[in-house]
Amino acid sequence: MADDPSPEAMSAVNRFGLGARPGERVPGDPVDWLASQLRSGPDGGAAFLGLSSSIDYMKREGEIARLARRRRGRSSSDNTDAGAASSGNPADLYRRSFGADLQREYLARWTVAANSATPFAERLVRFWSNHFSVSTDKFSARVYALPMEREAIRPHINGRYVDLLLAVEMHPAMLRYLDQVQSIGPNSRMAQRMPVRAEGAAARTRGLNENLAREILELHTLGADAGYSQNDVTELARALTGWSMPRLVADALDGGDVPARTFLYREAAHEPGARKILGRRYADDGQAQAEAILRDLAMHPATARHLATRMARHFVADTPPPALVQRIARAYLDSDGNLAPMYRTLIQAPQAWEPQARKFRTPQDFVIAAIRGASVAIGETPRPWEGALMRLGQPSLQPRSPAGFSDLADEWITPDAIYKRMQIAQALGERSPRQGPDAMARAYAVLGPRLDAQTRQALARAESQGQAIAILIASPAFQWRA
Amino acid sequence: MGTFTRRHALATMGAGAATLALWPRLGTAASGADSRLLVLMLRGGLDGLHAVPPYGDPDYARLRGPLALAPDGSQAAWKLDGTFALHPELAFAARLYARGDLLPLVAVALPYRGRSHFDAQDCLENGTATPYGAQTGWLNRAAATLLGRDSLALTAVMPLILRGPVDVKTWSPPLPKAIDPVLLQRLEPLYGEDRHLAAAFAQACARKDTGYSLLTEDEDGAAAGSDSAMAAGARTASRGDAAPRLPALMKVAGNFLALPDGPRIGFVEDYGWDTHANEALILGRKLRELDDAFAAFYDAAPLAWSRTVIVAVTEFGRTAAINGTGGTDHGTGAAMFLAGGAVRGGRVAGQWPGLAADRLYEQRDIPATTDLRSVFKAILARHMGLGEAALNEKVFPGSGHIAPLEGLLRT
Repeated sequence: MADDPSPEAMSAVNRFGLGARPGERVPGDPVDWLASQLRSGPDGGAAFLGLSSSIDYMKREGEIARLARRRRGRSSSDNTDAGAASSGNPADLYRRSFGADLQREYLARWTVAANSATPFAERLVRFWSNHFSVSTDKFSARVYALPMEREAIRPHINGRYVDLLLAVEMHPAMLRYLDQVQSIGPNSRMAQRMPVRAEGAAARTRGLNENLAREILELHTLGADAGYSQNDVTELARALTGWSMPRLVADALDGGDVPARTFLYREAAHEPGARKILGRRYADDGQAQAEAILRDLAMHPATARHLATRMARHFVADTPPPALVQRIARAYLDSDGNLAPMYRTLIQAPQAWEPQARKFRTPQDFVIAAIRGASVAIGETPRPWEGALMRLGQPSLQPRSPAGFSDLADEWITPDAIYKRMQIAQALGERSPRQGPDAMARAYAVLGPRLDAQTRQALARAESQGQAIAILIASPAFQWRA
Repeated sequence: MGTFTRRHALATMGAGAATLALWPRLGTAASGADSRLLVLMLRGGLDGLHAVPPYGDPDYARLRGPLALAPDGSQAAWKLDGTFALHPELAFAARLYARGDLLPLVAVALPYRGRSHFDAQDCLENGTATPYGAQTGWLNRAAATLLGRDSLALTAVMPLILRGPVDVKTWSPPLPKAIDPVLLQRLEPLYGEDRHLAAAFAQACARKDTGYSLLTEDEDGAAAGSDSAMAAGARTASRGDAAPRLPALMKVAGNFLALPDGPRIGFVEDYGWDTHANEALILGRKLRELDDAFAAFYDAAPLAWSRTVIVAVTEFGRTAAINGTGGTDHGTGAAMFLAGGAVRGGRVAGQWPGLAADRLYEQRDIPATTDLRSVFKAILARHMGLGEAALNEKVFPGSGHIAPLEGLLRT
């Protein structure tokens, strides 16, 4: 750091990016630095090499399902194998089969967060990942959650929103998380073929499921207050019937051919007939019916407003200036639903660079920025970092609802959270390398001109380098993306 | 509740973060040179006048006011001799003293005379007379002259004192759970200025020592599956719900050093000794932890005890007089402890300069009458068998004029 970085440069690094890394050059022209990342896209480096894809996971799930079925068959005829029951337990089987993969997936994600040289693009990936939340709490979606971010989100953060939207809604993680795979049109051929015993639970589990349709309207496109009706939800759910993935045992293994895609349109499950959504009629065009609806939803002004609000809230302030939201929404609609013009409008807006523009770091922001600021190595396992997020209440890809994690300071500022941040700061202080810049130099690199006199004094008075790093990370100044 | 992510993640932070370097089975039988050295660094500046109160010094009570301790005080200190006592919380240490296994030294200091924690700690670790005077640590350079046996740092990152030519193993401690009260003190004025965070911080501080109860899961994940004493130690160290950290670390250190083919040199560090305010409370807690730490090591390594020297050392002492906030500020002459069966204890070593006003260094600190290097050199020479040339040239370069302090060890 030759010269003092400007407050804007620090905002680019800290508020738009993932947090300053001491030793890394602070951008001279903050807007240009951000814009260049929009051109290049997120660079995951080598971190994702060697990870399995969703199709690999799906094939292995099929093998596990077949194995489990064979085991069940054996133990029902021959009860001597005492271990069969427990080892056939789906959770155990799953953990043994995918535990190491999940570790690698999480580790790669942490490695990218810690080392990324395109932190603005990386933040956008995470922004969209939270916008399209799936939760690993849903057992069947768990192994697909991180691949969804890699396969559906990362390649599409810079293009048209509808491409991002379609990629996500067709991904096994989302299809399973919001129960779309189970949704069957009540008048579909599949429903007709079902036995008439359908009463109680059986009737409910084999029919229309509105979960995905509701969240598409409420969270992924229009927004909750956009004035759509329950009928619109049901109509979208009907249009979406048939959007599914291969059933592993039946389709992949007994049927012979291994499916080449994770998405499968089941004509037989599709509800026949035209649909009417937001006053517009959509002819029955099979799989394309829902796609046509999603294309229109993506270009709806309410969607533009919804996306612009979330974006401005994420990058500028909990209550973003309405004029800024409008301009971002306008950029979206004027560009035929492209995302890049939204980002450009955002980073070129004066409101985005004003001193009062600041965001409280969510736990994920905090831990990532702390790792980067303290130059702590991610290590060989993601466990400590996931453990930290668990304690702070924001475990990766495990939100409590499809709405994702809150982007509002009030949600995160609690005494318990502050206390735990201090604990983590203390731990990172111990793990920050003793070589390299000392704590004061780190503080300058991390906070720039926002390093206030009091924090500086506290750092100077620290009893050890480790404690000084802890003070820096636990300081109020560090809790904000300023 | 999800099975994988939640449980595994909860089982982590501590042991998961630990790079649990399995101690190599070298297959060599313990040789004659089987002594053990453990350096315990108390970062922050231990107040010697509070840990080893010179109650017999005519100026002590006046200088210390409410912080003064004495064998007949309301909080009875352990009487060592006519001048010195041990802090009331140092009960196990007092027992060690009684059987001759504890040697307090007073008025010791580095050649460095500044009062910066960072610089002083750097000197204490680099082994020269000046901050940043060497890029490697004296303990590593000492290990370099001992053939065939590694050293061990029970720290998350390699401390300067053990950086250098010799390969050193680390065993990462579990994460600290309780927040260092000194850290809270430092943060308090900062949070007072942030109107969004001030209230939450104040409430967080109100829970003070309850930090342990925040974390209920057993944090030991990585240590499972090993049959060595280390694994047992790791489990103990990481359980830690009720126990403070230093004793747990010292137990692990004891387990390692007691191994027949284990390391001969170990290093443990602790934080939170910088007591500018509210010292009686903070040091009461810290000294209890130190006392438990001695006991934990002793319990873990009973058979190695007779061959062991523990050196508990801090970067500098503190002011002779208390300040206006119930604490003391950075000073010069410090107290330190040698403990172990190889120590000739049961007495107080070092030359006590007295606390008379005209004796104080710069009218405020206990003057240094013993160079710390003379203590280190004596232990390395007499206990670890290092030669004079190596000590004077490599381990403590330019220290030829500093003679080893004799009489510290049983021979």
